[in-house]
Amino acid sequence: MHKTKSNTFNVFSSRWVIPILLAPALIILIGVFFIPMMLMFIQSLIDEQSNFTIANYLVFFQEPFYWGVLWQTIKISSLTVLGTLILSYPVAMFMAGSTGKIRAIVTFLVLLPHLVSVVIRNFGWTIILNERGLINTFLLEIGIINQPLRLMYNELGTVIGLVDSFVAYMILAIATSLYSINPSLYKAGAIMGANRLRCFFSITFPLSLPGVYSGIVLVFSLSMSAFVTPTLLGGTSVKVMPTLTYQQIMFTLNWPLGAAISFVLLASTILLVSTFTKLTETKRYKEVFKS
Amino acid sequence: MMKLRFSWLGVVTFFILMITIAPFLVIIPSSFTSENFVSFPPEGLSLKWYTGMINMPGILDAVVFSLQLATVTAIISTVFGTFAGLCITKYNFKGKQTINTLLLSPLALPSLIIGIALLVYFTYLGLAGSFTGLLLAHVLITIPYVIRFVLTGMATFDDNYEKAAAILGAKPIRTFWDVTFPLIRSAVVSGAVFSFLISFDNVTISLFLVSAESMTLPLMIFNYIQQNLSPLISAVSTMVILLSLIPIIILEKVYGLDRLFGLNSNSH
Repeated sequence: MHKTKSNTFNVFSSRWVIPILLAPALIILIGVFFIPMMLMFIQSLIDEQSNFTIANYLVFFQEPFYWGVLWQTIKISSLTVLGTLILSYPVAMFMAGSTGKIRAIVTFLVLLPHLVSVVIRNFGWTIILNERGLINTFLLEIGIINQPLRLMYNELGTVIGLVDSFVAYMILAIATSLYSINPSLYKAGAIMGANRLRCFFSITFPLSLPGVYSGIVLVFSLSMSAFVTPTLLGGTSVKVMPTLTYQQIMFTLNWPLGAAISFVLLASTILLVSTFTKLTETKRYKEVFKS
Repeated sequence: MMKLRFSWLGVVTFFILMITIAPFLVIIPSSFTSENFVSFPPEGLSLKWYTGMINMPGILDAVVFSLQLATVTAIISTVFGTFAGLCITKYNFKGKQTINTLLLSPLALPSLIIGIALLVYFTYLGLAGSFTGLLLAHVLITIPYVIRFVLTGMATFDDNYEKAAAILGAKPIRTFWDVTFPLIRSAVVSGAVFSFLISFDNVTISLFLVSAESMTLPLMIFNYIQQNLSPLISAVSTMVILLSLIPIIILEKVYGLDRLFGLNSNSH
């Protein structure tokens, strides 16, 4: 993109400039990212005598308990995706339909919670969801229930927390694809006699799908590796891959197994996401995905 | 067109936005309760949790430590990230695209995995639990954001200003300070503020790298909530929310929050 510009003339030309500018960032990247990641991968593939082994991965795949954890992680992540989709679509449509100040205010409100610590937002949810929390107090007060409902320290609480954490990504992904719909398509639809519902299903919805798909991919991958929310809102009854990994590393001190589990998590996320992308990348939308 | 006209979509949007900011709407009032358990609506009115917060052991150390860590992280990330960002946009060299992708790659991996890898690595190096280790980890995950801010800022950059300065006899360093830097200042400031926020809020990576002496504020809250749900944490959280608002407002003024979209994806 800057090819022609930089070739013609550059004020700061010296053959030392490039290495000097890049070195600090690259040293950190190699020293604190690539080397540690390599070491951890090696760690997952050796036994106590430093011999090569795939035993750590076999432990995972031979134990039904671990499969259960993987399944619960996938289930919670899928429910989170569903939750964010339901909440996002109306907001994204409202944003696309509004202009100027209103759109700016809504965008600000969507992003604002996102910039404050996830631990604090989760704590806020415990105030709403716990046995003496906002929802239970309200429901007991008006007499709908006699016993407080269990709204957290289970899958439900985890999903609520995760939806709150990631809904902004979904809203903005869908809104971006809605912004790019040419308004004359709606006029064309109206001229052809389509009502608003028909216009929605024939124009808006299909054209928003690329945004929906990228939102799904993003929210799903983020949910798969979320650690804080399942710990705080799921408690001990929710076992997901990240909390399992954490236990293996910090309490059982079985680093090789912990490393292996985190690579299984990474691989299964990549596998599921790429399968999803393949399935949705039909001919119809191929052009959109190319860009 | 939509202004002031009643719309169901507007009503639904309003309710959904209320849900997303609900955690803040309950935390702040709950910190003024006189009860000993977080409940909502809060009963009684008291400031005892704020006095309790001041006397909470280790809290002051954690606040100071987190602020120091976030500040040093922001400074280092911004300087190194801006260097790299400028280099990528202003020069042509072999493997430029690859280096660009590599520099942004820490954002693609889950924080949890980076945290574990660093724990293993820093234990070998004897850096586990040290300020240096934590700082290096925070710099690693914030540099990509700074680079992306600078790349965005440079997208509309016009080389002619630099040329003009050079023709008028300005030396390269002078040109940089008087011409180049002011033109990308908002991107650089935003990168710094964003790095500060990310570092100040980080839990997932810090979790593996802190020690009892180097406890960050969000981790202290994280550990505390798992044991009990005290209004003390409401008071601490209210303070953190207020502390975070300052950088958020700066970010909104300098850069515009709406442009942030796509920049943050690894804070969990």
